[in-house]
Amino acid sequence: MIEIETLSVRFGGIKPIDQLTAMLSAPVSGLIGPNGAGKTTLLNVLSGFVRPVEGAIRLDGRSLLPLSPLQRVRAGLRRSFQTEQVVEDLTARDNLAALADNVAAVGERSRTTDRALDFVGLGSVAHRLGARLNLFERRLVELGKCLIGTPRLILLDEPAAGLTDEEGARLRDLVLAIPDAFGAQVIVIDHDVELIRAMCAETLVLDYGKRLALGRTETVLADPDVRRAYLGEL
Amino acid sequence: MNTQRTLVPAAVPLAPEATVRKPRPLLAVALAMAIFSAAIALLANAFWLSALTSAMALSLSVAGVAVLYGQLGLVSLCQFALVGVGGWVTLRIGHGLQPPFEVSLLAGGVVAALLGLLFGVPALRLRGLYLALVTLMLAGAFQIVISAWGFPDGGPGFLGRADGVGRSMLARPALATEAVPYFLYCAVIATLGLMLVQAHKITRPGRAWALIRKGETVAIASGVNVLAYKAWAFALSGFLAGIAGGLLAGNVGQLEGRAFSAFESLNLFALATVGGAFHWYGAVIAGLLLRALPALLTDLGIDGYVTIGIFGVALFHALATAPTGIAGKIASLLERVSRGAER
Repeated sequence: MIEIETLSVRFGGIKPIDQLTAMLSAPVSGLIGPNGAGKTTLLNVLSGFVRPVEGAIRLDGRSLLPLSPLQRVRAGLRRSFQTEQVVEDLTARDNLAALADNVAAVGERSRTTDRALDFVGLGSVAHRLGARLNLFERRLVELGKCLIGTPRLILLDEPAAGLTDEEGARLRDLVLAIPDAFGAQVIVIDHDVELIRAMCAETLVLDYGKRLALGRTETVLADPDVRRAYLGEL
Repeated sequence: MNTQRTLVPAAVPLAPEATVRKPRPLLAVALAMAIFSAAIALLANAFWLSALTSAMALSLSVAGVAVLYGQLGLVSLCQFALVGVGGWVTLRIGHGLQPPFEVSLLAGGVVAALLGLLFGVPALRLRGLYLALVTLMLAGAFQIVISAWGFPDGGPGFLGRADGVGRSMLARPALATEAVPYFLYCAVIATLGLMLVQAHKITRPGRAWALIRKGETVAIASGVNVLAYKAWAFALSGFLAGIAGGLLAGNVGQLEGRAFSAFESLNLFALATVGGAFHWYGAVIAGLLLRALPALLTDLGIDGYVTIGIFGVALFHALATAPTGIAGKIASLLERVSRGAER
């Protein structure tokens, strides 16, 4: 469970996140909002790259803000990036092992790496170089990296960008299986409302750094304010 | 959490393959170097042996630059200064305390590693052109210091300068006093150094460096301690440069201050890219270009300065068409041949 309390971020005169309070407890939650709504900033605050001017964040009751980005990773925070960040001259397996090196105990590294590889279905291309992986495989490597060690909160930033419908559906099934298989909570950021609708039980909508709506995805997406701000309906 | 146990058996088939794969690249380094060195030891005359001994030594310092450039994407232009530091310390310890050669050599490596670490401090904040400029200035600073101090040649005091009277030569290691054994001695140490780098590349540090090269944000999000791994790369690179300097000092018994100008650091980096910073044998190729090519031209009666022109053209070629250098070309050729053989 992630609790955000009166969180504010300031860049000069701009407040990309303004007095945000929200609690996300669904196994897979969505985070949506128009461009500039503060989604990526919120992600960066959660992973520790941006320091808020005020507020608090708790992950399963543990305060997150005092921790450095590295400490957060060790505490079970995982994230993927909007543009995939697979290293070209490492194999698919080594891309995952690079994370296991730093977050898993010595005896556990090989096991957690293979488990994540198998889960995302990359076992057959484990020894293929990153440069030779197709986009879908790269997205799966990114997802696999989030499953190394003992993940507690996984932040996926547009995990399905650039994928075909079929690939997107496969990715969606994988993400939905994560909470049960790994005991981690997942937050998905995406522009694709259909993807969010299919994946997330609960959704937070941001607009101008403020909370526009929060609740069951169906209810939130039917909200007239959300439809006006985000879906472009009058 | 229960699922963790149930999923494990499926992971088993992958593991053996992964463990078998690792030692092979190291074995390849040892084997290739053994054949190469044996051929030289059997065929080369005294003139060539001396040049190729220096080439072997310098390939170590190139391997250090290649760690920074190939693994981390950092341009360091003070590597030859660190070679000089290693040479200076090796000579100083050797003349002052007369320990076994290996002790002086190791001291040279360690001091150069520490200085390399210090020279790497700007890299924690700078990269690209700015880091290149700062490190080039450090190389320039070393040039000034070494032209004022000179290399120790058996005199008294901290500087160890005999000033023309009773200059003494550094003794070679006890087990390799003659030219051929000393060449093989250098070859063995170079091989060990190259294997050390290779071992780094295929294990935890190599993976961490790859992530840092991809982007520091990505590395941090993957739990990599960026500061520690960068520092380690600079220390390793400096250590290899220092060992190279010590081996050079042992080759002729003394070193010349003029040979350690900032230009040499530039040249070393340029040839590291020409040789290939992404494959271990790129360092050997660069070592040969640095020392064997001038020797070849001298042998043919051509002015040694022609090499500078040749290096310029080679660098242009590498930057324009072959960013992985000669070693990269060889690697893709080998791959094509082995694929053809499989068919």
